[in-house]
Amino acid sequence: MGETKAHPMNLLRTYILPRILQWALVIFVGISATFLIPRLSPINPVDEMIGRMTAFASIDPHAVVSMRESATALFGLEGTLLEQYGRFWARLFTGDLGVSFGNFPRPVSDIIAAGLPWTIGLLSVAILISWVSGVFLGALAGYFHDRRWAQFLERFVVVVYPIPYLIIAFVLIFVFAWWLKWFPLVGGSRGQPGLTWDYISTLLYFGFLPALSLVIGSTAFRFIMAKSLTTTEIASDYVQYAELAAVPKRKIILFYVARNTMLPQVTDLALSLGALFEGALITEVLFAYPGLGFVLYNAIYNADYNIIMGITLLSIAGIATASLIIDLLYPIFDPRVRLR
Amino acid sequence: MGTIIETNNLRAYYITKAYGVERTVKAVDDITLRIQEGEVYGIAGESGCGKSTLLRILLGAYQPPLTVVGGEVIYHLDGEEMNAADMSEEQQRDLKWRTISYIPQGSMHVLNPVRRIRDTFHDFISAHRDVTKKESFQLTAEYLRDLGLPEKVMASYPHQLSGGMRQRVTIALATILWPKLIFADEPTTALDVVVQRGVIQMLKDVQQKEGSTLVLITHDIGVHANLADRIGILYAGKLVEESDTKTILENPRHPYTRFLIESLPSLDSREERLAIPGRPPALDRPPSGCRFHERCPLAKDVCKTIEPELIEIEPKHFTACHVVEEELNVAV
Repeated sequence: MGETKAHPMNLLRTYILPRILQWALVIFVGISATFLIPRLSPINPVDEMIGRMTAFASIDPHAVVSMRESATALFGLEGTLLEQYGRFWARLFTGDLGVSFGNFPRPVSDIIAAGLPWTIGLLSVAILISWVSGVFLGALAGYFHDRRWAQFLERFVVVVYPIPYLIIAFVLIFVFAWWLKWFPLVGGSRGQPGLTWDYISTLLYFGFLPALSLVIGSTAFRFIMAKSLTTTEIASDYVQYAELAAVPKRKIILFYVARNTMLPQVTDLALSLGALFEGALITEVLFAYPGLGFVLYNAIYNADYNIIMGITLLSIAGIATASLIIDLLYPIFDPRVRLR
Repeated sequence: MGTIIETNNLRAYYITKAYGVERTVKAVDDITLRIQEGEVYGIAGESGCGKSTLLRILLGAYQPPLTVVGGEVIYHLDGEEMNAADMSEEQQRDLKWRTISYIPQGSMHVLNPVRRIRDTFHDFISAHRDVTKKESFQLTAEYLRDLGLPEKVMASYPHQLSGGMRQRVTIALATILWPKLIFADEPTTALDVVVQRGVIQMLKDVQQKEGSTLVLITHDIGVHANLADRIGILYAGKLVEESDTKTILENPRHPYTRFLIESLPSLDSREERLAIPGRPPALDRPPSGCRFHERCPLAKDVCKTIEPELIEIEPKHFTACHVVEEELNVAV
């Protein structure tokens, strides 16, 4: 018997700790790069702002000087690069991401916090639906590959998958929002926010089309992946053996096929969830949905560096954390990893 | 004791068609077998002689390109005579595991890697019996204990077990419902000899406990010598000799069988063993006449043109060879 029991302390030292260190390192490097890259740019945001303000009106030179000083302090551009770097981290730890240039005195953290729930709601629902339906439809279509409906489904998906996202979204907007008028064209909800059915139903009503546009493409992607994984899985000895033993098909599909094809897909799910914080830029712009993507779009449009940086930091942390969590949880999904 | 499974002039071919070229591989050609209830019947032969194909047909687990083109397989189970060709898929499924079971070749990968052994047992048991999870765990634990397997394999995953242990677990999995008829395909191949010994003993135990019938396929004559009551020698899709194990080992008549037996290492003599000359024929264009004539040192002209028939040369000893037949006629 080749059984070895991993000691919990051993597991902590050889598996968990290195992964947490790796996670911290990725975030540190990522955030440092986010700090450095804009500072390599030849454009000085303070000059830019003053230039914008003095372009159409003349301002008292003393006021310009004091404005320059306060703006430099506000943007964290005082002193040497190293001093700026130190202050940058100090501010980060207090949750201060600076202020928005576009909506001048409003703190970036405020703006991000306003957009985040919308994005999380929209994307997490869309990702979960497309993951579950893609993985299971793919497993079914792969298992019953000689049935008519499976072949039809596969052909349909193969046709839908390469359609660019923009076109899918436009067709949905055109048909369901503009022509049939079943769904609204813009916005995220209506009425007084609260935990009432009236409000929640408007959330679903406004969120349906953007979510659907996301679900179509990513379901197709996961379906194709799951189907090809299933094709190799059903040829495996253990599936063949269980079939020979007349184990019920439902059990074979669930515990023998899907359970095994799911392993690589779990990683994919975690990374998609980690990417939540980037927002779904195109979706939110097309459907005028008030999430992070929309905020990001406006920030890019207005050269609002602090917001861009804030969202970048969030997405670095999001993806790094998602891969940390998946690394730590993976042994639950695949027992073969536990012995390392 | 009656016959439990018989085949009559069974022919099963692999028929494939690729780019308009049809290819027929005659893997099982005109085989007639009678396997008795409670015996261990060994099927021996070199790689590619049709052993596994024959087993697949007997088991009723085959799909195109493998097709039965002639003959029949008849089961005698529960006092009924059933022709495999007439059985519905439902009936076939019903028979599996409760009555007919299978120990596969290369058990390394037949256990689901993400499922604990006890859950796999539950899947297999509950497919045929109305049991709760607790009941099947209990059944499994008792059975494993009977067979001398450690209890902790129940909670293990397949990758935590050694190759030999995995093979033993698979044998237990195949036989937990006490099937009457067990097919084993190369159950000891890929195991080292010490482990082989344990697995052979376990197969013996399982077979003797309930008096099941075991159809054992392996190229390893040593394993047959240990287990089988009767042996059928397969060559190029044909049964060339059949008798009880002692006769086959001590008095083989077919030249191919003699080569097989003589190539076995022996403790008494240290001389080099002869290999069988040539290589097995390709079954898509088998040789005319006796299929062994190209490799046979005794071959005569008649062997090249006329297929020898399986004849009873002494009680319960069948062989298909013109030379043996002639010797017999001269003696008479």
